[in-house]
Amino acid sequence: MNTIPIIIDEKKLEVDPGKTILEVCRENEIEILTMCHLKGVLDIGACRLCLVEIEGINKLLSACTTKVAANMIIRTNTDRIKKYQRITTELFFAERNHVCAVCVANGKCELQDLGYKVGLDHIRYPHLFPQCEVDTSHPWYVMDHNRCIMCTRCVRVCNEVEGAHNWDVMNRGHQVRVISDFNSPWGESVTCTSCGKCLHACPTGAIWPKAIVQGQLQKNPGMINELVEKRKMKL
Amino acid sequence: MDKRRIFISPVTRIEGHANITIEMDDNGNVSDALFHVNEFRGFEKFCEGRMYTEMPTITPRICGICPTSHTLASVKACEMIQGIQPTYTANLLRRLMHIGQNLSSHALSFFHLSSPDFLLGYDSDPAKRNILGIAEKYPDIALKGIRLRKFGQELSERITGKKIHIMGIVPGGMAYPLTEDNRKALLAWIPEAIETVQAGIGIIKKFHEENAEMVASFATSPTLYLGTVGPDGEHELYDGKLRFMDADGTILQDQLLPQQYLEFIAERSVNWSYLKYPYYKPYGFDKGFYRVGPLARLNVASRMRTALAQREFELFKQMNNGKPVHGAFYFHYTRLIEALSDVEDAERILNDPQVTSTHIQHHGRWNYEEGIGSSEAPRGTLFHHYKTDETGKLKMVNLLIATGQNNPSMNRSVLEVAKQYVKGDDIKEGMLNRVESTIRCYDPCLSCSTHAIGQMPMVIEVKDKRGVVLKRLERG
Ligand code: SF4
Ligand code: SF4
Ligand code: FES
Repeated sequence: MNTIPIIIDEKKLEVDPGKTILEVCRENEIEILTMCHLKGVLDIGACRLCLVEIEGINKLLSACTTKVAANMIIRTNTDRIKKYQRITTELFFAERNHVCAVCVANGKCELQDLGYKVGLDHIRYPHLFPQCEVDTSHPWYVMDHNRCIMCTRCVRVCNEVEGAHNWDVMNRGHQVRVISDFNSPWGESVTCTSCGKCLHACPTGAIWPKAIVQGQLQKNPGMINELVEKRKMKL
Repeated sequence: MDKRRIFISPVTRIEGHANITIEMDDNGNVSDALFHVNEFRGFEKFCEGRMYTEMPTITPRICGICPTSHTLASVKACEMIQGIQPTYTANLLRRLMHIGQNLSSHALSFFHLSSPDFLLGYDSDPAKRNILGIAEKYPDIALKGIRLRKFGQELSERITGKKIHIMGIVPGGMAYPLTEDNRKALLAWIPEAIETVQAGIGIIKKFHEENAEMVASFATSPTLYLGTVGPDGEHELYDGKLRFMDADGTILQDQLLPQQYLEFIAERSVNWSYLKYPYYKPYGFDKGFYRVGPLARLNVASRMRTALAQREFELFKQMNNGKPVHGAFYFHYTRLIEALSDVEDAERILNDPQVTSTHIQHHGRWNYEEGIGSSEAPRGTLFHHYKTDETGKLKMVNLLIATGQNNPSMNRSVLEVAKQYVKGDDIKEGMLNRVESTIRCYDPCLSCSTHAIGQMPMVIEVKDKRGVVLKRLERG
């Protein structure tokens, strides 16, 4: 296959066309922060954490949804990018109710890790403190909207990998919510197969198993792509 | 002339924030004393709507000194909801962690917060009447106290990896086992810990002898007592049943299940404090004052469970011919007897061959709508009571905390001491410190903040009824 030349952070690379900037960066160990990206399901560019600068283009583009093109000059760690990463992270925390100290995901949370990575020491925006339901109706799992960051990894995994499409999204703006079926309690779903893939896909403490408490959470988001790859093998 | 008021705010060297108002009558005599708690934390309300299994993680945040007791009461309530029991090893590990917390709390109370009064004197320079002052004059004692606290914290840390807001106590048992290396490391502490507690006992006994009159007359109102006991009435902190005793030593109720607490305890709110006022229901609000905590636990107990503590306990029992000892000052002594029993008990548990077993958790799921659990916090019995819907979501949370139960008596003790030591608007620093130290006898945990060195400024105001300040005294 023909390769194309690009430059990322002053580094000259020969890469396969058709790949996203994110894929190329991951292959070359160039760090890009992500939250809505989950290997194995389609990228949608929702979280805006993976923004990069491309020479000649004024606005920042999301690395997960932008394909490489010949002679692209890409920057991943400028002050401008760092500024936006910090803002985005702060808004995640300000939008819902995150109390890490008592959260089941404490210490095992991608959002918390992100906070540490961008050096989050305080949040400059007023918290919205929305009144969010905790959906405990499923016999095995809990859905706590207080900790959901609307990455929709659960929605995509449920639809694309499990094929159940229990989860979807309703409303706009900060009223947006993940819903089960047509906005009914998860425990009453007629589509959910209780497979637990959404739990593993979820980067935060929003979806968790009822059987555990803080310190016992095990999530394995990498398992999603493994399943996808195994299915391709057509055994 | 109008009534005058002395207002002490905030009380130093206790956990949390509090104010005391002393009301004076027209002749400059103390007529009333109110101990206010102004911090409202609303735990009960904001836990509603959460999963019951989150409570063992949420409730230890109520207090940085007694998180383990909250976790234990909470997991017990969860275990009642699930209808399961922890494993044998889990019970051992929980006991160890509970002992650790009790020890470090008692060490903090005695060595850091109270020993300055005993060793430096009530009327010594307030700027130095703290652990730093002790470190200057009695470096050996200060170090011992700090190390005892460290041992207590290690008991948690070496089991769960955390010192304060511990994880790892879960419904059905424990999340982490104890390794052989950690078991050995903990055992190595025992001789030093026993020696330190005994040194503390030496200090308090000497103070008792040298200040016999003051100790004997210090806040001595009789009350009822509540504490947890084992099947034979022995002293118990983690897992037992409840005993109520009256002021003369008659056992009013014995071997009550914690689940029956509402049959015997009622609560009333008062308009000047956020703490609720619990009382012994059969005796009503006016006569039902009861106390909890180390003094109460030793008053109600028939014996201690370990040898050295039993010897001290017998001396304690002689003080009032086998009847309950009422003086608030004896909280200090009983705290140390408990600490001694803690260390001896830790040694016994660490030598149990099952302590390092990895069979540490039974697994359960929601089965019942209601759960009640109790445990003995350093400051006394606490209860957690949850009601859930059929998915496990909390509909009702009631937390009865130790300091709340001591509150009515604390108030009365403050009044007693104020009457003895405060006259007119002639307020001397040492007198006020005595009022404060009455509160400190109970070692109240009013919120989760810890002010171990107690550099909080204190403002004392003598006010008349209209709020006009007649006199103002400041320190800090
Ligand atoms: S989901 Fe993550 S960030 Fe949110 S409260 Fe839980 S641990 Fe904290
Ligand atoms: S529940 Fe979890 S996976 Fe789903 S959108 Fe919210 S944060 Fe993302
Ligand atoms: S990872 Fe690219 S926008 Fe979320």
